[in-house]
Amino acid sequence: MENPTYAYDETRHQYNSKVILKHLLQCCPHDTLSFMGVTRVDLFVPILKYVFGLAQIKGKCSLISLYRLLPQFYNQPPNRDLLMTRIEKTALHELGHCLGLTHCRDRRCVMHSSTRIEDTDFKQPEFCPTCFELFKWRLEKLSREGNYLMPKL
Amino acid sequence: MVSKDKRESMKIVPPGKKKCVWMEAGVVSYKLCDNNYDCSTCVYDHAMQVKVARQKESVVVAASIDTPADKFTATWVDKMMQLPASQRKCRYMITGEVARKICPNAYECGSCSFDQMMQERLQVEALPVHARSDVGGFDLAEGVYYHEGHTWAKPEYGGRVRVGLDDFAQRLLGRLSRIELPNIGHEVKQGEVGFQVRKNGQAAQVLSPIDGIVSHINNELLDQPELANEFPYEKGWLFIIEPTKLRKNLKSLFYGEEASKYLSEEREKLFSLANEDLRIAADGGVSVDDISGELKGKNWAKFVKTFLKT
Ligand SMILES: [Zn+2]
Ligand SMILES: [Zn+2]
Repeated sequence: MENPTYAYDETRHQYNSKVILKHLLQCCPHDTLSFMGVTRVDLFVPILKYVFGLAQIKGKCSLISLYRLLPQFYNQPPNRDLLMTRIEKTALHELGHCLGLTHCRDRRCVMHSSTRIEDTDFKQPEFCPTCFELFKWRLEKLSREGNYLMPKL
Repeated sequence: MVSKDKRESMKIVPPGKKKCVWMEAGVVSYKLCDNNYDCSTCVYDHAMQVKVARQKESVVVAASIDTPADKFTATWVDKMMQLPASQRKCRYMITGEVARKICPNAYECGSCSFDQMMQERLQVEALPVHARSDVGGFDLAEGVYYHEGHTWAKPEYGGRVRVGLDDFAQRLLGRLSRIELPNIGHEVKQGEVGFQVRKNGQAAQVLSPIDGIVSHINNELLDQPELANEFPYEKGWLFIIEPTKLRKNLKSLFYGEEASKYLSEEREKLFSLANEDLRIAADGGVSVDDISGELKGKNWAKFVKTFLKT
């Protein structure tokens, strides 16, 4: 994704993730099941200091930022594996929201809400049994309705 | 040895709970305090005192009668007094209010000047919060009961209850310009408006977490209302209540895991209300310090009413 200058907020010196999400909604192709934007800029949303990601609940669009997933942000040496795991968890989490899943109280479940990066590192890149059932059910339902080509779970 | 360990492990005192003085003295093997060390109004203490007095009499009358299983021939004070003087813990030491203090006064707290000093001091100064947890960026002090209207109540030594705003309320309200506390002697009721706060000329009413008579107010808030924002669980406490229905009231408040669950639900609710235009979920993010400042163009009063339940 190119630098979303249109979403820059002068007072917070961060980018408003809602503005970017609205932009994604406009350029999202009709035949897509899920449309995820990936950016390097630091995102915020009203009332929160920052966000790792944002998603429409039961919608097509979501957005994740690498800014606070990079180990360097926490004064750690670059670590590609760690970064990839964090991206995987964050992306799966946002995808879950797009499929209608809400936050889960199980701290190991990927649908647990990460307030800080430690929460992201603690959770597993997979759904707990309950969230998984829901995820599968929603995905199957969507595939019946929309005739998308479904990945095999 | 094994059986002793087993017995010991059954006497574990859960965190946040305190041993009853009768347990501390070794008269009974397990009993937790449920009356904030206010023995004068404690039903259990009263019953035990009566029991001991009766046992003492019966020992005199018929020494040969088989002793019943629950024979209590000494009060907790008697037992403590049997200990060497250096081991007679002051009850403020038992409750953790002071690190080390030996009773110099044969447990006659009514005439003890240390007791008087502690009573006075504890009324004015809020004790530091030893443990706190973080619920999605909101601070939750442990050992405190929470009302759904985002105030807290902390039962303290002597049976009084300290009251304050929780971190959620403090952030939602934003930097306060004035706090209008109830007068001393005023009666407040759980779930009814107890006081009012002001910000930029707008007022918000706040509910009282428990029933009682206001016995003390935090005078520092008159000049420095921002203390309630900066130290909501300590220096920013609001007032102290002489409770009238404590036990009943505590049952309708959130504590521990329940409080944390309630707070995370409120957090999600606040987030969706603040972002009503899109049905979204956000992953990450500690709440900003002043939520009211972020609700640009939105109705502060409406938000406050929703979450403070007024
Ligand atoms: Zn789950
Ligand atoms: Zn989420």
